[in-house]
This record gives sequence, structure tokens and C-alpha cells, in this order.
Amino acid sequence: MADKVICVTSGKGGVGKSTVTGNLATALAAKGYKVVAIDADIGLRNLDLILGLENRIVYDIVHVIEGVCPVEKALVKDKRTKNLYLLPAAQTKDKSAVKPEDLVAIVESLRNNFDFIFIDSPAGIEEGFKTAVTPADTVIVIANPEMASIRDADRVTGLCSAMGKPEPKLIVNRLDPKKVEKGDMLDAEDVVQILGLELLGIVPEDKEMVSYINRGEPAVLSETSIAGKALRNIAERLLGKEVPFLELKAEGEGILNKIKKLFGGT
Amino acid sequence: MGFMDRLRDAFRKPPAKEVARQRLQLILKYDRAGLPPNAINAVKDAILNALKDFPFIDASGVTINISEGDTDREKIEIEVPVKNN
Repeated sequence: MADKVICVTSGKGGVGKSTVTGNLATALAAKGYKVVAIDADIGLRNLDLILGLENRIVYDIVHVIEGVCPVEKALVKDKRTKNLYLLPAAQTKDKSAVKPEDLVAIVESLRNNFDFIFIDSPAGIEEGFKTAVTPADTVIVIANPEMASIRDADRVTGLCSAMGKPEPKLIVNRLDPKKVEKGDMLDAEDVVQILGLELLGIVPEDKEMVSYINRGEPAVLSETSIAGKALRNIAERLLGKEVPFLELKAEGEGILNKIKKLFGGT
Repeated sequence: MGFMDRLRDAFRKPPAKEVARQRLQLILKYDRAGLPPNAINAVKDAILNALKDFPFIDASGVTINISEGDTDREKIEIEVPVKNN
């Protein structure tokens, strides 16, 4: 089996870490694997929202560390997908409440009971990031095809290597094929070349993503979501399967539309 | 933006993605080496200044680059050509 403990990180905030984590965890659980997703973004709890589990939280990771309850009691069972569990972040504590050795101990106590353990890292490169990466067998770096995100992804990659982790794998998130075609946005190939990382997947910009998050329904459970399909493919690749990258094309961009655009139309 | 502006842009400006690619390649080079962005030019100026007293050196051909060293450290490579006689 592939790597079991997977940390999802990015350096820059807002690039889709929690969304990707929640969706990959859901996709693997839906395939029958036993999965736990740990929200390591202490003080800024988010992963519960992606999974629609915010109303089911009683205990959180800091309660476990403080010995208030055993880890099994803090795990929130997903309401849709069998085999999926969430270990929520504390919302009222700060990042210093979880030390690297605390998270290592929690992961070790879960390791034998799960097929996959996802750790959703906080943004930034401080303590919280280091705590999230420390227990990981493998690291996934999420980058959007834009300047700041790519720069931060490179920084995080350097820090992972300094921590003795294997080279992170890359997910290019929110790629807009229309903008790529117009020459306004970097293509996934460019990002791969600039960062020099192995590409795990490309997730296209999907306007419907916000509504999936608003409903607390992971997009991977929808047959119609294009981002969901891309994320399901990534889950397959985590299982070691070779899945070709989606052919991402701008829609409805005929020559006539291009001429219209040149004349200022839309 | 009017038609003429669009047309002019289409001919004059390189695509934004190309600019981004070039900028990022340079930025990451410096970031990885832990150097401030203009460090190389400052080093180059200082070296050119020090070399100008030596007539056998071709100052116009001095090149300076950051490259990956053998260890995990980046290195700065300076090439100082001697003038042809």
C-alpha cells in the first residue's frame, strides 16, 4: 500500500488545502478505505465545514492532548461516507496547543486502525506547519497557478526537505483553462517545471465548488462536478493507480468568440 | 480597453503567463539561495570595479550566475574571461 500518513500543505493560505484534504479523504473512504482526516489548523477550524460535520463536534484534538478524552472519543464519524472520520481542530486555542510530539503520538495511536491518515496543515511556515508535517510519511503541496502561491509552495518544499521528508508531490488547484488558453495564466506544466515536483493532479477552477462547500457536501461525491472528478482521480493516484490527467479545455471558445473578444465583446 | 489598445497589446506585450514564468524562475533562484533579489548585481558591480585595474581582463565578458552546488548549498559562479591578444 502507498504512504499512509499524508500531510496537505501550501505555505500560502486560501489555495484550497482543506477542500482538497476533505475531498481526498472522502474519495478514499467512499472506495472502502478506512480514513481519518486530522484538522491541524488549531484556532481556525475549517475541515469540519467542508465535510458538513460542524454540528457533530463534541471533543477536539486539544482535548485529546490534555487527556480530557481518548482519541477514539474525539473522532467524529462522517454522516455520509462510511469509514470516514474527522479529528477536529480546537477553535478556541492557538497553534502552540499542539506540539509536533503530540501530533506524532496521536498519529501513531491511529496508525494501525486506519488505511489513510490525512493531516490538514495550517497556512504559513511556523510552528503549526512544522507540527503538521512532522508525523507525515508523505507531503502534498497545493499550489494555485499564480505568483505568490508558487513562491510559497517552493518555500514549503525547501522546509520539508530540511525536515528530512521525501520530496512533496504537487497538486495544481484552481487552474482556469480559459485563462491558460488566452496566455493570462500559467499552465500546470509551467508550474511543474518551475517547482520541479512530481505532479499528482490538476484540479480545474470550478464555479460550483462554493456551493458544495456551502452545503457541506464534498464535490467528489457528485458525478457532475468536474473538480470532483479531478479529485477522485488524485485519490486513485494515491492508491498507486495510473490515471491519465484530465483534458482541460476552455469551453465554447470558437473562432467567432475570439474575434468578438478582440473587438471588446465578451 | 478599446480595440486599438487590445490590438497593440497583442503585438507588443508578451503573454502574462510568460512574464510570470520568467519572474518566478528568477525569484525562486534567489529564494532558494537565500539571497536578496538584487544581490547578484551588487556582487557583479563590486567585482567589475575590482577588476578594472587589470588590462588583461575582458570586463565586458564577466558573467555571474547562481547555480546549484554539489552539496545542498547554492553557489555563485563567476566567469572572468581574459582578453584575446
